[in-house]
Amino acid sequence: MRVAVFRWKAVVPLLVLGAVALGLWLVFADRIVRRTAESVGTTLIGAEVEIERLHLDLPHGRVEIHGLTVASPFEALENLLQADALVADLEPLPLLEKKLVIDRLTATGLKFGTPRKTDGRTGGQADGVMGQVNHWGDQLRVPALALPTGKISAARLDPAQLTTPRAAAALGARADSARQAWDSQLKGLDVAATADSARRMVERLRGAKATDVKLLGDARRTLGQLKQAQDRVTALERSATSGIAALQAGAAGLSDAKQRDYATARGLLKLPGLDAPDIGAALFGSAAVDRFQRALYWVELGRRYMPPGLLPRATPGPQRARRAGATVRFPEANSEPAFLLKTAELSLQLGTAGAAPRTYAASVSGVTSDPALYGRPATASAAAPGFRLGALLDHVRATPRDTATASLAGVALPPLSLPSLPIRLEPGSGTVALSLAVQGDEVRARWTMQSDRVRWTRDSSGAAPSSPTGDLVWRVVSGIPTLAVSASLTGSLARPQLAVSSNLDRALAERLRAVAGAELAVAERRVRAQVDSLVDGPVAPVLAKVTVLGGDVTRRLGGERTQLDDARKALEQRLRELTGLPGMRLP
Amino acid sequence: MLVLKLIQSLIKALHSEGTPGQLAAGLALGSILGLTPLWNLHNAVVLALIIVLNVSFAGAMLGWALFVPMGFLLDPAFDWIGRTLLLETQALRPLWTALYNAPVVPLTSFNNTIVLGSLVVAAALWVPLFFASRWGIVRYRATVVERVKRSALYRSVVASKLYNLYRLFRPEA
Repeated sequence: MRVAVFRWKAVVPLLVLGAVALGLWLVFADRIVRRTAESVGTTLIGAEVEIERLHLDLPHGRVEIHGLTVASPFEALENLLQADALVADLEPLPLLEKKLVIDRLTATGLKFGTPRKTDGRTGGQADGVMGQVNHWGDQLRVPALALPTGKISAARLDPAQLTTPRAAAALGARADSARQAWDSQLKGLDVAATADSARRMVERLRGAKATDVKLLGDARRTLGQLKQAQDRVTALERSATSGIAALQAGAAGLSDAKQRDYATARGLLKLPGLDAPDIGAALFGSAAVDRFQRALYWVELGRRYMPPGLLPRATPGPQRARRAGATVRFPEANSEPAFLLKTAELSLQLGTAGAAPRTYAASVSGVTSDPALYGRPATASAAAPGFRLGALLDHVRATPRDTATASLAGVALPPLSLPSLPIRLEPGSGTVALSLAVQGDEVRARWTMQSDRVRWTRDSSGAAPSSPTGDLVWRVVSGIPTLAVSASLTGSLARPQLAVSSNLDRALAERLRAVAGAELAVAERRVRAQVDSLVDGPVAPVLAKVTVLGGDVTRRLGGERTQLDDARKALEQRLRELTGLPGMRLP
Repeated sequence: MLVLKLIQSLIKALHSEGTPGQLAAGLALGSILGLTPLWNLHNAVVLALIIVLNVSFAGAMLGWALFVPMGFLLDPAFDWIGRTLLLETQALRPLWTALYNAPVVPLTSFNNTIVLGSLVVAAALWVPLFFASRWGIVRYRATVVERVKRSALYRSVVASKLYNLYRLFRPEA
């Protein structure tokens, strides 16, 4: 029996099924697209994206979104932005290629930093952008403003760390060795015997005649022996003088070693840096790093989702019961980008201190997933009294270049808690500015904050315990009504360098130096005394030994030389008397 | 009850009027639904084929039910195959680029590693699965079917009184 290939009677049910599917799509399209938009947005930003209502109007190529809320990827209970309504005009044909090209987007009622009830952060994984930025922020060393508190224990000083006692012991050994050597050499000279022999010869010559040639010859030999003994004494004197000089230099070196030991002991005190830049970094470094991290987060997101070039790019696939896998894009020259927002006009509201929020206008253009295809950088700009914003993300070329600058005057600045101190700063109304330029891996950024009427409050929540440093800082800052903070970031992304300064730095530095300087002087005196107690004991006897040895050797050598000189004079005198006849002379 | 339905479906399919070839073709087409992520455009095409082609619908449902768990289990392998094809095979890049920038084709999500990997595996398995299942069905009908028909289990399942009773008394959602 031949079996038919097609089941023609099933065509009608198939068409009915297709119609039902189409009807279901039309009914649920808004919901499906809303969920897809929420899912994609959440993945992109790293925080919950919620949409109250979305309407897809395909015949007119329009999408309307009402009640958009984007949670902050940085703060747990804060929204990044909320928008009352967004209307996007789409190009329909790219939708067939699963591409989204938005000709024009208008957003109204944009508000930033509004509170939320639940934590909307979804990022933070070590391999995500947030993890990457956090790791980057960890490289920036923010010093802690802390003074040593309480007594600085002398027991911290380990005697084994001191060099002076070891040097003194070595010098003492050298002195002992030198004394033994000189004693031995002095004995070897046998000066007394030579001098006695000379004196005996003088006695023999008293009754001698000038014609006693043999006696005169003996006298001359004795005189020669005296001269040789004098030469040996001279040589020993030279050697002893240089040896004593070396020992005295060693004794002087003990003083230098002691100075080094003082330095070692001072190093154990862990004295804080009291330079003004350190203070600025300690007070506002964390806040500056937080701002720079946030700016860099958006730059990194931009680089991840708007990469230069036309190579295939893999991004995480859609969430589903099965594995998500990776979805790979294959951009091609002269084709549409996978995503393109040509222009956007935004109406945003920013709060001012003590007044109703003001509405500002901003525009965005050229935001695309494939900058190389679009061929132009993404830009954002806004200008209004007291508000200025400009950003350019140029990923068209191989080396991405991102610049942004924003300043806002007369707005309520967010309060700051000074790190590790129970002090809270409420800047009130002021001006804040942030500029950032990232070219390839090189970064230059600056954050400034100014306010003329700051309020300082003591934080009684117990988050930072009360401390002498905190009290001191409070006494200084509570009388300062203005604030001007400037932080700059330079270097490569791998090795960034942070510099922070503020108008509080000098005032705090002077006050801290005055108070801490006295404490530090006391601490230094204490450690010097401890070093003295450990060093003077072994050093004093060695110094005395060197002094005594020098005098002793000099005295003994002087005595020996005197004996020889006297004997030689007497012998020469007697010989001169014997041989003083005309025509005769001493040999 | 899912197991009961599966057994019921299996027995209905194996003992249906269809030829072993129709049953095997349905089962092989159903395996594509099971192996690949369901909500994709290519599965709409597969479903249309199951309806329009003269294959066993019960066999297709059986194939789908049998291969869904295999799809979940093999996802890591599908991901690897998809990555290899999409990202690491330079020779295929022009093809993917052309397909990605063609109308409608991107709606199939072929550029997802799981979708492509599972679709390639399902397509490669289709012919062997068709012949293997057809041989198995022929052997089954020649040797086992009569003994199964006489078994108490078969009679109770085919009568499906238990299942119908369950349906009457199952709790409302």
